[in-house]
Amino acid sequence: MSEKPIISVRNITKRFGSFTALEDISFDIRPGEIFALLGPSGCGKSTLLRIIAGLETATEGDVIIGGQDMTDVPANKRPVNMVFQSYAVFPHMTVAQNVAYGLKLERMPKAEIATKVEEALEQVHLAEFSHRMPDQLSGGQRQRVALARALVKRPRVLLLDEPLSALDAKLRDAMRLELVHLQESVGVSFVMVTHDQSEAMAMADRIAVLKDGKLRQLDSPTSLYLNPCDQFVADFIGRINMFDVTSHSRSGDKVILQTAILDPVTLPASALPDSHETLALAVRPERVKISTKRPAKGTCVHGQLGDVAFQGDSSIVEIVLPDGGAITALASEAQAAKLMKLEMGSEICAYWQPEDMLLLPANAT
Amino acid sequence: MARKRRDRAGPFEYSRKLSLRISFLLASIFLYAPIIVLIVFSFNNSRRGGNVIWKGFTTKYYGKAFNNDSLIEAFTNTLAIAFISTIFAVLLGAMTAVVLWRFRFPFKPVFEGMVAMPIVIPEICMGVSLAVFFSSFGLYVPPESPFPLNLTNIILAHITFSFPFAAMIIRTRLSNFNREMEEAAKDLGATEFQVFRDILIPHMKPGLIAGALLAFTLSLDDFVITFFTSGPNTVTFPVKVYSMVRFSVTPEINAASTILILITLLVTALAMRFQSFEEGDK
Repeated sequence: MSEKPIISVRNITKRFGSFTALEDISFDIRPGEIFALLGPSGCGKSTLLRIIAGLETATEGDVIIGGQDMTDVPANKRPVNMVFQSYAVFPHMTVAQNVAYGLKLERMPKAEIATKVEEALEQVHLAEFSHRMPDQLSGGQRQRVALARALVKRPRVLLLDEPLSALDAKLRDAMRLELVHLQESVGVSFVMVTHDQSEAMAMADRIAVLKDGKLRQLDSPTSLYLNPCDQFVADFIGRINMFDVTSHSRSGDKVILQTAILDPVTLPASALPDSHETLALAVRPERVKISTKRPAKGTCVHGQLGDVAFQGDSSIVEIVLPDGGAITALASEAQAAKLMKLEMGSEICAYWQPEDMLLLPANAT
Repeated sequence: MARKRRDRAGPFEYSRKLSLRISFLLASIFLYAPIIVLIVFSFNNSRRGGNVIWKGFTTKYYGKAFNNDSLIEAFTNTLAIAFISTIFAVLLGAMTAVVLWRFRFPFKPVFEGMVAMPIVIPEICMGVSLAVFFSSFGLYVPPESPFPLNLTNIILAHITFSFPFAAMIIRTRLSNFNREMEEAAKDLGATEFQVFRDILIPHMKPGLIAGALLAFTLSLDDFVITFFTSGPNTVTFPVKVYSMVRFSVTPEINAASTILILITLLVTALAMRFQSFEEGDK
């Protein structure tokens, strides 16, 4: 990486009493990227964002913003701004006054404030609402006020806490795109916290996956999807079918894996992860093909046709396995139409290429 | 054939049960008849025993009340006391509310209980204790002091019993403050003081106004505590009315009381409007 990081998070640990919310987290945020902190609720992602903002102090570790150590700098003196989950728009100020507030605190001349506020409101398409009070705005509009209010301060990094969680589904999709466009036009890095993997995948340049206060994997959305580092990440990012490996043996440069359901699988030994007390085999639904006859090649399981969930351009097909478990496959429109003709419970065969399988360390539970 | 069934009235359907309607009517009469009688007889054209026999309509007792210098003086005193004590009660109440809302400290429940104490202890005890306190500590302000100063003792007494009410109301208002608002202001560069001035005080405003109006009405009609802390030259309206009633109830008293009722109603209505405004927004 040639560019200097805009934010360096170094060995951040946060404890609340005996509970460890964050454990030794380090990463860099590059200039001009959208960086997502992704994890299930309670993984510590919001706490991490608040530590970057200066609203929470880390028990150990440093936050470096633009090359300066900000660990002891209070929130009101940090060159980052935040869009809160509740938006926290000041109810007693008009839209324009809300946006102007941060500039007023900088003692910027009034005329300059007015033009900057106007620009910022233009940017979030709220120009004609500048004299409204917040209670006359919709949720989406309030969020734009919060965005304008933060961006008008020209922060080095914009922090967003669950930016889309309070919006309804339709607006959420539109806002995803709009946030990405906004980021492109203003050029500052966005750091967003989210629990929604599809949101992170769609918007972020890089994603940090957190679980139980630990950083599990930090990578681009594609890499996370194609090369998850463990079973948790694979399961959390997108849909996946998992098979527990009961035993494995190496022979030369091959490794042979036994599972309860599949025929023995042979993979190159290089697929073995470094630490592997227990392993799991995984295959994405879109790699799984369905046939009524046994195919000549590939890994195959027999099962009964379960539910077919229509999704428009594709359908999610459930194949019920003899042991009661199920795997899912993604079927194209045409294929789904054929499958719909079969009766539920018909014997079918799901198959895929062995090299489409991922060998992952299983969750240590 | 299906019988036509009429819904039975639910246990609390006041409008459909005759027994409940009657009890509601009786309760209303019991509560409001005395006040209505008082107001009606303030217009009675009879000098003595004015509250028994109706002798025709007149407004002359209102004029008489306004020409009664000692009554007017008492009235002025009452308003001055209410006004000054309200300012201090709201200031103290707001400070107390912020402390209770914002900070955690040892013995906080004890402190909270002590703040609420003046609300629960009997007024007569407070009156006696304040009288004893003022005299034993030599805090007695001479009655010949200039106008608002001669009321110092009463004002102090009124602050002590009205500020807990203001504190409670403001505290309630603060409890639905969104802490993210404060963090957002800090994030935009505000210091603690700027957050307090620009964000917290505007949020508290409906509570401050409602608290002030409540403190004002409480002070306006207080008799017991005032009685123990007032001197011969610092008579308030309720105390004055009491002393006049001891001889006879003249329509003049009715008239003066009617005016006080109107003022109290007006202030209470305002207080309630601000209270509902406070509940109306998040």
